[in-house]
Amino acid sequence: MALIDIAGREIPADDRVPLALEELPEGQGLAVLLPAGTLAEEVAPLLPRLALVVVEFPKFRDGRGFTLGRALRERHGFTGDIRAAGHVIPDQLALLRQCGFSSIATPAEHPPAQWQGLKDPTQRQLLQRLLGGEGVARAQA
Amino acid sequence: MGSTITANRLTDGVVVWHDGQRGWTTDRAEAALLEGEALDGLLARVRRDDQQLAVDIRGVEIEDGVPAEYRERLRAQGPSVRGDLLRKGHDWAEGPFPPPPSRSHSSPHAGIYRYDEADREFLRQRAAQFGNQVERRLKGELNEEEFKPLRLMNGLYLQLHGYMLRVAIPYGVLSSTQLRQMAYIARHYDRGYGHFTTRQNIQFNWPRLTDTPEILRLLAEADIHGIQTSGNCVRNVTTDQYAGAAADEVVDPRLYAEILRQYSTDHPEFTYLPRKFKIAITGSEQDRAAIRVHDIGLIARRNPAGEVGFELHAGGGLGRTPIIATKLRDWLPAQDLLRYVEAVLRVYNALGRRDNIYKARIKILIRETGAEEFRRMVEAEFAALPADYALLTDDLLAAVGARFEEPPFQALPEAAPAFDAALAQLPGFSDWVARNTHPHRVPGYISATVTLKPAGGIPGDATAEEMELIAGLSEQYSFGELRVSHEQNLILPHVEKEALPVLYAALRKAGLADANAGLVTNIIACPGMDYCALATARAIPVAQRLSERFAAREAEIGPLDLNISGCINACGQHHIGHIGLLGVNRNGEEVYQITLGGASDEQAAIGGIIGPAVPSEDVPDAIGKIVDAYVARRTEGERFIDTYRRLGAAPFKEAVYGAH
Repeated sequence: MALIDIAGREIPADDRVPLALEELPEGQGLAVLLPAGTLAEEVAPLLPRLALVVVEFPKFRDGRGFTLGRALRERHGFTGDIRAAGHVIPDQLALLRQCGFSSIATPAEHPPAQWQGLKDPTQRQLLQRLLGGEGVARAQA
Repeated sequence: MGSTITANRLTDGVVVWHDGQRGWTTDRAEAALLEGEALDGLLARVRRDDQQLAVDIRGVEIEDGVPAEYRERLRAQGPSVRGDLLRKGHDWAEGPFPPPPSRSHSSPHAGIYRYDEADREFLRQRAAQFGNQVERRLKGELNEEEFKPLRLMNGLYLQLHGYMLRVAIPYGVLSSTQLRQMAYIARHYDRGYGHFTTRQNIQFNWPRLTDTPEILRLLAEADIHGIQTSGNCVRNVTTDQYAGAAADEVVDPRLYAEILRQYSTDHPEFTYLPRKFKIAITGSEQDRAAIRVHDIGLIARRNPAGEVGFELHAGGGLGRTPIIATKLRDWLPAQDLLRYVEAVLRVYNALGRRDNIYKARIKILIRETGAEEFRRMVEAEFAALPADYALLTDDLLAAVGARFEEPPFQALPEAAPAFDAALAQLPGFSDWVARNTHPHRVPGYISATVTLKPAGGIPGDATAEEMELIAGLSEQYSFGELRVSHEQNLILPHVEKEALPVLYAALRKAGLADANAGLVTNIIACPGMDYCALATARAIPVAQRLSERFAAREAEIGPLDLNISGCINACGQHHIGHIGLLGVNRNGEEVYQITLGGASDEQAAIGGIIGPAVPSEDVPDAIGKIVDAYVARRTEGERFIDTYRRLGAAPFKEAVYGAH
């Protein structure tokens, strides 16, 4: 499965195998796989040891991952890679970016080419303009 | 016996059948009758191969040459309540069309949120984005499962006869130009009419998928859109139809409704919620927005210092599991509104059920976690967000507030001699004023309701010509401003009392002066099985029979809310009608459950079922017996709902079902 960055550009494959939370060994720079329904609080204590968090989307309609990504990035200050995996579609790229995701493992039916050049007005929320760079706009930072 | 294979054509939604060999046909006579392996084999093949041609492909059982299910027979011929449309074919008007009204009209004084170019550009980009999504669907880059939520988030459904486009009328406020633009869409891209819904939207029943991006682009030129009128996201924020006009209003809710609209539009975190999410807000103690049956309900108030805040309710709703909302906060300072709403949505998005769509609404989450625990989680989430998070500062409120221009009201004299004279002399006028108007905050003005509920009519439907006529009257008499109520009526909010007799005469001439707001004939009804793919019964014919039956007695009966839903999803809000009717299919027969005692106001209540369901054709008699029982027992001036509250259901049960 091809990887893209959050601008939709293809990036080199990643041979790290993310492990389940409960299988995580000692050490630093680890990669973890979070199934849908994982709460940010369950992961928070481990964040200092993680370099990559893979958030699974079982169906693109299942939006729990958006809350998880955003909570890890904003509430818990995670600075490593947050990757969306599973069933996500190109139309969600801007939402993923705004929720703190930094890479995407694209599903086979939506290869990297489909993620490029989409004109996406969702990059600029109406309220972001209203709040003048505060509040919701912070998610963009 | 046997089955035919049916579907809706992808590009335009037209009902098609498979002929067994060459492919899809719009002529049911050419449909192949299949059984057993032949049926299964062809179904599997077209489901695999025809994804880019047809949607919702399935087999339909045939008996005696026609579909066994009534729904499928309706699908074959069109809505039973629009004989004029039957077998009219699938011809859409072909352009070029005249320039749209947005080119020549501007409604400069209407109290809509005034778009600037950036707001408008956003809508244009959204329309273009949807155009791209439609192209990708037609090419096969998006399959129907993926495309469906995207089209729903732009208001496009697939219903019984084809596509249906739901367009938002944000918090029920619209300008005459916007109404003219809707009439234009109805005339050129649909079949000449629209349907106003209980949630301050309008629905077009016959758009082509391939026309929808152009329709949305045209709507954008009039600052209107279909964004988030469907889908599992925050829907159109609704409010009191007299917002900003009513004499009894404490806080103008339009400001906060608009801020919530901007907040929730394309919210990155909350666009794929477990289920839909509806917010309603009232700024008056008399709740005309049914806030207690919404996912979040807000009552805007002022504290003794004059500051605005909200009483916040959550977890109300109708549908399969009707629940009156839980109060989460007695007082939420206005500046923290978005921060608190975000906390509620975040808890819901993380924990709301996703295993069963019937249990996915926030009301179920609150019921399952318990109100106390839910409140604790929301407050914890609220506390964890920065104190200045999405803060609604005075400057921000002033900036958004300035977009709502105050109409140039005149300082009118106390006396209104023409109005007073008409009350005494003009036939029907005093009744119409008593029922169809509401006191205005500015002396000398009044709000007037144009009910879309003529006896025997389709509740909430308006033709393009009616829309244009009412738009014209609003320009003449109400600063070009209109409202849509959750009772599916149109309102001219700012009419000079002295001009009311002339307005009344004009409405009367157009057949739009029924004096039935708040009465038994002002029936709320969903489109039912005549249009809707989910419905199990036809709600419209029942509404038509009831309004015909009671038109002559409506004044004698007095205030009474009668609501009809064509299925358990309760779009007709039967649970909160003083009398509610729920249509269900019992072995192929349409029957109606009767509930009594529901209310949507500050004494909101869910109605109780009084007994076994009655056949559709017996509904008028059953309601007649209930009404007679009320009239016989009421005290002087007592409303139906108050008699019901005083006596309970027993006398009404006895009236309908007898003493045993």
